[in-house]
Amino acid sequence: MSIANAAFSRRALIASAVAAAAATAGVSGCSTASGGAGSSAGSNAGSRTLVVGMELAYPPFETRDDAGEPTGVSVTFMRDFAEEYGYDLRIENMGFDGLIPSLQTASADCVMSSITITDEREEQVDFTDPYAVAQLAILANASSGISSIDDLNQAGRTVAVKTGSTGDVYATNNLDQAEILRLADESACVTEVSQGRADGFLYDQLTIYRNQLANPDTTVAVYIPFQDPEYWGIAVQQGDDELREELNAFIAESKRNGEFDKLTETYLADEKAAFDELGFRWFFDFDEGSDAGEGA
Amino acid sequence: MRIELEGVGHAFGGEPVLAGVDFDDDVSTLAIIGPSGGGKSTLLRIVGGLMAPTEGTVRVGGAEIPREEAALARYRATLGFVFQDGGLFHHLTARENIALPLRAVHGLSEGAARERADGLLARFGLEGEGDKYPAQLSGGQRQRVAIARAVAPRPRMLLLDEPTSALDPEYTTEVLDLLRDLKDEGTRFIAVTHEMGFARHACDKVAFLSGGRMAECGPSAEVFAHPRTPELRRFLGKLLEWSV
Amino acid sequence: MRNPFVAGPDGRVTPAQAVASYLIVCAAVIGFFWLSLAMAGIALDFGFVARFRQRIADGLLLTLGISAASLVASLAIGVPVAVGQGSRVLPVRYLCDLYVKLIRGTPLLAQIYLFFYIVGTAWGVENRLVAGVIILSVFSGAYIAEIVRGSLSSLDAGQLEAARAVGFTRAQVLRYVVVPQLVSRTLPALTGQFASIVKDSSLLSVIAVIELTQTMQEISASTFNLFGTYFVLAGLYLVLTLPIMFVSRWFERRLSYAH
Repeated sequence: MSIANAAFSRRALIASAVAAAAATAGVSGCSTASGGAGSSAGSNAGSRTLVVGMELAYPPFETRDDAGEPTGVSVTFMRDFAEEYGYDLRIENMGFDGLIPSLQTASADCVMSSITITDEREEQVDFTDPYAVAQLAILANASSGISSIDDLNQAGRTVAVKTGSTGDVYATNNLDQAEILRLADESACVTEVSQGRADGFLYDQLTIYRNQLANPDTTVAVYIPFQDPEYWGIAVQQGDDELREELNAFIAESKRNGEFDKLTETYLADEKAAFDELGFRWFFDFDEGSDAGEGA
Repeated sequence: MRIELEGVGHAFGGEPVLAGVDFDDDVSTLAIIGPSGGGKSTLLRIVGGLMAPTEGTVRVGGAEIPREEAALARYRATLGFVFQDGGLFHHLTARENIALPLRAVHGLSEGAARERADGLLARFGLEGEGDKYPAQLSGGQRQRVAIARAVAPRPRMLLLDEPTSALDPEYTTEVLDLLRDLKDEGTRFIAVTHEMGFARHACDKVAFLSGGRMAECGPSAEVFAHPRTPELRRFLGKLLEWSV
Repeated sequence: MRNPFVAGPDGRVTPAQAVASYLIVCAAVIGFFWLSLAMAGIALDFGFVARFRQRIADGLLLTLGISAASLVASLAIGVPVAVGQGSRVLPVRYLCDLYVKLIRGTPLLAQIYLFFYIVGTAWGVENRLVAGVIILSVFSGAYIAEIVRGSLSSLDAGQLEAARAVGFTRAQVLRYVVVPQLVSRTLPALTGQFASIVKDSSLLSVIAVIELTQTMQEISASTFNLFGTYFVLAGLYLVLTLPIMFVSRWFERRLSYAH
C-alpha cells in the first residue's frame, strides 16, 4: 500500500493542537523576542543568508532525492526566490513540530513546509499570502456505491477519518448522519475502506488520489464540491515584514509568470492530469471559488 | 509388624540401585545403615509405597502393597513419613501441616484435628509455634513438626528418611531424643540414618545396605559388636576414625 | 529517637513513617511537574472535563470492561499454554513455545493491526470491541503463560512426595498442595499483569475502539487541549492501575510464606 504522502491534514492537526495548547498556555517569551529579528534579511544583496525550515518528508513538496539532497516543489521555489532576491539559501530539515519554534527562536528565517494558515498559528508567526490551496476528497469503497458526499452522509454509513485531521473536522461539522470512525493512522483508514469496514475515508486530495491508485480494484476517489479550502503559506518571524513582502511579491509574480506551472510540470505532472480528470481542484489554482482571490 | 521382602530390586534408568533384597522379620524399630548411594532411601520409599520396585514383592503386615493409586493412598495413610528436610508444606502453618491430613485423609473434625495438632505441638516443645510457617521455624523445630505430623494419625509405623542429616548437631540431639521417647512409648519405626549411636542404642534391629544389597541384618547390639562382613567392618571403622 | 525517614533494622516501617515519607515524595513529584509546567510556560486547562464528562466516563468504563474480559480470557489461554509448554507431545510443546515467543517478541501495535485487518477480516471478526478483547487476551495470555510456567517450575518435587506420603489422593494433592502453592506464587504477578492489561488496552485506540485513550484523543483533537487531556488521561489510568498494584503488593505480602 502506498504511503499517504501529502499529509498536510495531519500536520494541520498536530501543529494546531500544539499551537493551540501553547496559545492557551500563554507560551513563553519567545514569540515576542523574535519581533524585530529579521536577522539575515539585511538590506545589502549578495551575501545575505536565508535559512528555510522544512520537514523533508512530504514528497513531492518537501523531500530528498536519492543522494539525500533536498528537493521538491518548495525547495525549487525557495531556490528560485533566493536567486532572484540575492540570498544564499540554506535549507534546514526539522520535524514538523519544530518548524514554528524555529522561527520563534530565530534559528530559521522562514518556513515553507506545506503549512496550513490557521488563526492559532498566526498568533505565533506571520504568514505570507497563500501559495497553494488544498481540499479534501473521499476515498470510497468501490462496491459501496458512493459517488458524492451526500451518499456518504447517511445513517448506517461509516466514515473513516484520521483523528484530528481536517477530514475529522469536516466530518464532525458536516456529516451528522454517518458514523465517524477516528483512527490514528492514514494507512489504517485506507485499509478500513478497501476492506469495506468503512464506506469512505475523508482526507486531502493528493493522498486520496495516490491511495486510490494503490487500491484500484477496491476503492474509488470522489470529489467534494463546496468546501472551504485550506491555504498554505510561508511562515516568517513575527514582525519580519521585509522578508514577508519579498516573499509575497515573489508569490504573486509566480502566479502570473507560470512559475507554479513549471513546478507542477517538474514534480506533479501525473497528479495534475489525474486531478483534472477527477475534477479535483489543483494546488495552485486560485481562480476558482468565491474566496479564491485571497492571495492574489 | 512383619515386613517381608522377596528379591526386591530397583533400577533408575537401567542403573540398578537395589538388587535381590530379601528380608523377613517382625519389626518394631529398625535402623537402615550403610554408605551413601547404597539404596537405603530407595528401599524405604518402596516399603512406604511411594515407589514401586522394578522387581520382587513387598508385604507389610501380611498384605502386599497395593498397586492401584487409590488403594496406595490408603496404604500410605497408615504410615507416617518424615523426610530429610521435613517435607513440611511450605504454604501451611505448623498446626495446619499436622491438622490438614487428619481432616482430609483421616476424617477428623476440624476441632478434633486442631486439638490433636496442638496437643502434639505442646508435647514436642513447640507450644506457641503453631501459627508459624515452616520458613519461620528452626531446622530442629521443623523436624519436630514433621514428626508430629507423622505420628498424629497414629500410624502403624513411622518411616524416617535421614531425619537428622540436614540438621545442625544441637538440633540432631533434640530430634533423636524425641524419637527415643516415641520408641519408649511403643512407636514402631524404620529409620534410614547415619547416626550410629542412635542406630545402636535406640533401634532394636539394624540392616546394613551396601551396593544395593542387604549385606547384614540382625539385632543392633549384636551387629555392632560383631560385624560379620568386611564391608560393615570397613564402614564402621571409617565412622570411628574421627570419633572422640 | 528513631529517625522518621529510615526503616528499622528489621525492615519495619511504622504507618506514620510511611505516610510522612510518601507525602514528601508525592510533594516532590508534584513539585517537579509544577516547576516543569511553569518553566515550559504551560498553563493546564481542565475545563473540558465537565463538558465531556459523559464521554470520559463511558471511555473509562469501556477500558475497565475490556481489561476485565481480557484478564479472564487471557487466563483461559495462558494456563493451558503454560501446561502445554511442558507437554511431552512435542508439537504441542513447540506450538505453545512459539506462541509465547511470537507474542512476547513483537509489539502489541503490530499485533493489533495484523490481527484486526488480516485475521479479523479473513475470519469475519467485524466487531471492534470483540476483536480488541481477543487481541489483548492473546497478547496478555503469553505473559500469563510465562508467569504460570515460572511458578509451575518452582513447585518442589519434595512437596509432592510429602503430599503423597501423608496419604493424599491425586485430587487432594492438587487441591491441598499444588493449587494453593501455585496461586500464592502467581497471584501477585497476575494482579500486576492486570494493571498491564489496563495500560495496554490503550493501544486498541488505533482500531477505533472508543475506550479511554481513544476518547481522550478525540477530545484533544476537537479542543486542541493536548496537555490537559493527556494529563487527565494519565490520571485516570493511575486511578485504575494504582489500586491494582496496591492489591498486588498486598497479595505478595499476604501470600508469602517463604520468610
